[in-house]
Amino acid sequence: MIKTNNLVKKFRTDDVETTALNNVNLEINEGEFVAIMGPSGCGKSTLLNILGLLDTPTSGELFFNQEQVEHYSERQQTKLRKNNIGFVFQSFNLIEELTVYENIELPLLYMKVSSSERKRRVNEALERMKITHRAKHFPQQLSGGQQQRTAIARAVITNPKLILADEPTGNLDSANGEEVMNLLTQLNENGTTIVMVTHSPSDADSSNRIIQLFDGHIITENMRQKL
Amino acid sequence: MLKIFLNTIFRKLYLQKGYSLINILGLATGITCSILILLWVQYELSFDSFHENKDKLYAVYENQSYADGETFTVYSTPAPLAEKLKKDITEIDKATRISKPWGKLMLSSGGATYMDGSGLCVDPDFFKMFSFPVLLGDPNLLMPNERSIVISEKMSKKYFGETNPLGKIISINSNFEYRISAVLKDSPKNSSFYFEYLLPFNFIKENWEFDLNNWDSHAFLTIIQVKNNSYIPNLETKVKPYIKQNIEYSNTDLALQPFSDYHLHSISGKKLSPILYVHIFALVAFIILLIACFNYMNLSTARSERRGKEVAVRKVVGAQKRGLFALFMAESVLISLLAFGLALVLVELLLPFFKELTQRDLSLNLSDPNLLLSFIGIVLFTGFISGSYPALFLSSFKPIRILKGKLYSDSNLFRRLMVITQFTISVGLIICTSVIYRQLDYLQDKDIGYQKDNIIYIEMMDNFQDQYSKLKESLIKIPGVVKVTAANQMPINFSNATSDVSWKNKPKDDESVLFQLSFVDYDFIETFEMEVIDGRGFSSEQGVDSLKLIINETAAAAMKMSDTIGEKVKIWNYDGEVIGIVKDFNFNSLQVGVKPLIMLISSDEFKYIAIKTDGNEQPIINKIGETWKTYYPSIPFKYRLLRDDFSYLYKAESRMSSIFISFTLIALIISSLGLFGLSSYIIEKKYKEMGIRKVFGAEFQDLFKSFLIRFLKWILLANLIAWPISYFLMQWWLAGFAYRIHISWLEFIGAGALSTLIAFFTVFYQSYKISSITPIKAIRHE
Repeated sequence: MIKTNNLVKKFRTDDVETTALNNVNLEINEGEFVAIMGPSGCGKSTLLNILGLLDTPTSGELFFNQEQVEHYSERQQTKLRKNNIGFVFQSFNLIEELTVYENIELPLLYMKVSSSERKRRVNEALERMKITHRAKHFPQQLSGGQQQRTAIARAVITNPKLILADEPTGNLDSANGEEVMNLLTQLNENGTTIVMVTHSPSDADSSNRIIQLFDGHIITENMRQKL
Repeated sequence: MLKIFLNTIFRKLYLQKGYSLINILGLATGITCSILILLWVQYELSFDSFHENKDKLYAVYENQSYADGETFTVYSTPAPLAEKLKKDITEIDKATRISKPWGKLMLSSGGATYMDGSGLCVDPDFFKMFSFPVLLGDPNLLMPNERSIVISEKMSKKYFGETNPLGKIISINSNFEYRISAVLKDSPKNSSFYFEYLLPFNFIKENWEFDLNNWDSHAFLTIIQVKNNSYIPNLETKVKPYIKQNIEYSNTDLALQPFSDYHLHSISGKKLSPILYVHIFALVAFIILLIACFNYMNLSTARSERRGKEVAVRKVVGAQKRGLFALFMAESVLISLLAFGLALVLVELLLPFFKELTQRDLSLNLSDPNLLLSFIGIVLFTGFISGSYPALFLSSFKPIRILKGKLYSDSNLFRRLMVITQFTISVGLIICTSVIYRQLDYLQDKDIGYQKDNIIYIEMMDNFQDQYSKLKESLIKIPGVVKVTAANQMPINFSNATSDVSWKNKPKDDESVLFQLSFVDYDFIETFEMEVIDGRGFSSEQGVDSLKLIINETAAAAMKMSDTIGEKVKIWNYDGEVIGIVKDFNFNSLQVGVKPLIMLISSDEFKYIAIKTDGNEQPIINKIGETWKTYYPSIPFKYRLLRDDFSYLYKAESRMSSIFISFTLIALIISSLGLFGLSSYIIEKKYKEMGIRKVFGAEFQDLFKSFLIRFLKWILLANLIAWPISYFLMQWWLAGFAYRIHISWLEFIGAGALSTLIAFFTVFYQSYKISSITPIKAIRHE
């Protein structure tokens, strides 16, 4: 599903150049649950953002479903993103002025889904995430776990083939964290490919492959059998 | 500490060059406009303030009441009034009559002869009442006798060069001889009275055989000076009945106007008096400064995302709210000081153009304490107003919230109000400018009822009538000359009026209709292409048409006669007969409407010759000049173009409108800059949100739409507020004109469209900017 060839990402300020990713080559197949781990600043999130077309690589190739996409225009990227990828962030990234319902509905609006269909799908997602009673609340009024469930509902509302999660449990207590991981595992079992950046070994246990990054390089890739 | 303080501020200015530049430029533009307007306002208010006795001087004016309910207010008073008031009323210390000579005078001394000087005839008290500095002559006795003339420095140089003119003789019209008794400094530009020479008032009597004891003729300005501390309302009551006491059946009361109001305040209660413009412009200056300050606030709070961290860190390491407030305040005062410095340079550069525009002798005199004080005021005002909100806003940040990435409580009423106010002002300014521009354009182009183009006219000396018929015959033979006529006044400003007119069925002794009276030659109506709508025009072929009258429509209506043609009308003691009615034409400024008019042939009264040409003026004028010389070899040939004088009638208004339009444009530019700043603020605040939207599939047009909707709500509200305010304001302004345009709904729609357009482009630019960066940058913006 995803393949990278010699992916490089450099950041420049006036006189300092930092290499965040250095010749990263990896392949992720459909249906996999991959965890990316490594110390702070090793390039985990950068890699995830490039895989999700939120950021562009400095050099190297990126394939999505056999199609080379790293040179895509802003428009093509947006199209690919909204039809195929869902995102979950550590800090939830919900829009504060929108209710839970409206936050979840947002991607459907940009996909020009009809209003009755939107209603049906949002209600379904609310139910699945067990936040129906919070539909009319604003994000600030929710607990961290509820906010992250809202964010996951927003990520899955378009039925994406791929979900990219950047430390999804990082801002949650252990109970809520576990709940979120259960949701992700469930999604994966239903066929959604998941790539997750995490610091937490226990979260990584939910995955079936762990990629270890260090200073922009992949140092190990462990296939694991889920318990 | 202070060094660190200043260092930090300057470093910040340098590091954020673009932002500092916009801020300083915006403020500098605002301050420049305010200073220019301030200079003008100060100049207008300074009029006549150089007279030591200015607080004791009063102009006497007349309120003449007429049957139609109108009151005619004039400074013209009878000649004996000044002396009478001084004699009767103890509070009145001094009094002078002031009059321009009634016709062109030719002044010669030695070989020098000039016709263009402007003189005044005054009483001896004039010199004790007004403070025109004396250069030469006995300050206590400037006009020792009835044969003295006082001249200005300018005139002295013109006639005598550097030699001492005292005691020299000036002859007037080769008839009278006057001895120079004193030389005064040229009257200051901010004086209501401008003169190159002063003659004894008795000259009016000598030269025009006018009876100075005549109460019936109201023709002179009377100024009185009171003793200290006279209670004025009481004084005015004493002065009020003096005309009625001396003339039977008079409709006239007297009133007093403080001389300090003479230049700026209208006695007729006319709304469009100069003081109104002074107020309007002071307001405009204030608004421009305010808009500039708003911009600063918008831009600085827009930057607060970036300043947030700084504030948080400063607070974490121990800064107090008060200290931070002072820091940001100092920063804004310093910026306003820098802006002020730049503004001073701009003012120096722009002053020549502004002087041209205002026709005023303005100067930037930094040693003037009043001006300096105002400048300090401007800097502090700008600094404090523009710094207040950002300083309060920034210094009250909670450090932990900022460090955690949460900056704002979202709904900020104050800023919304500020934005809406700014939009409202802009929309209002657009509407007002458009209405003012259209109204003045309308006045210039309005069909005034006669032809003013291709007419030159010559003001005549007295007693030129002997030669007039021959001159006319010669002039008409010049190729290109179409018509030649003469009259006592030109239609741009008819000023001869009487109410001593009677006709059949007129209520007895009712002097309640004031008729303008014009003495004209045959061909007058044809020369000016006026339209005779009933009866006939004057004609030399039908025998002598003297005592035949032509009246205008308004006069016919005032006389209320069923068939006016052939009716007898008595003017003073002369019996006339109406032979025609001419279509109403405007013989005064269009601010005033058309008044009743009677025209009759009377060659004794002619003062002007008017010549209509076929358009090719200059060569014809040269020919006219040559012809003139053969008849009046000793009198210089001086002519005027009627069209120019017509434009002059609206000079004040058109000057005001040019100034107004210029400043409105500047206000609009600053305001647009503000909108730009504002939209960058909102977008700065919404950066992350837009990033999230982008992650979930929003494209450029989606972002653009969501921003635009936000702005349109404000613009709509601002328009709804601005429309009625500007409508009533402009209705009120237009009511001051007898002829006026209708305010068009297009003006409102246009202003709405323009404000939307400004917002549209700013939002477009900002949306484009945000949509062109990667979503992750936007999300991570804080």
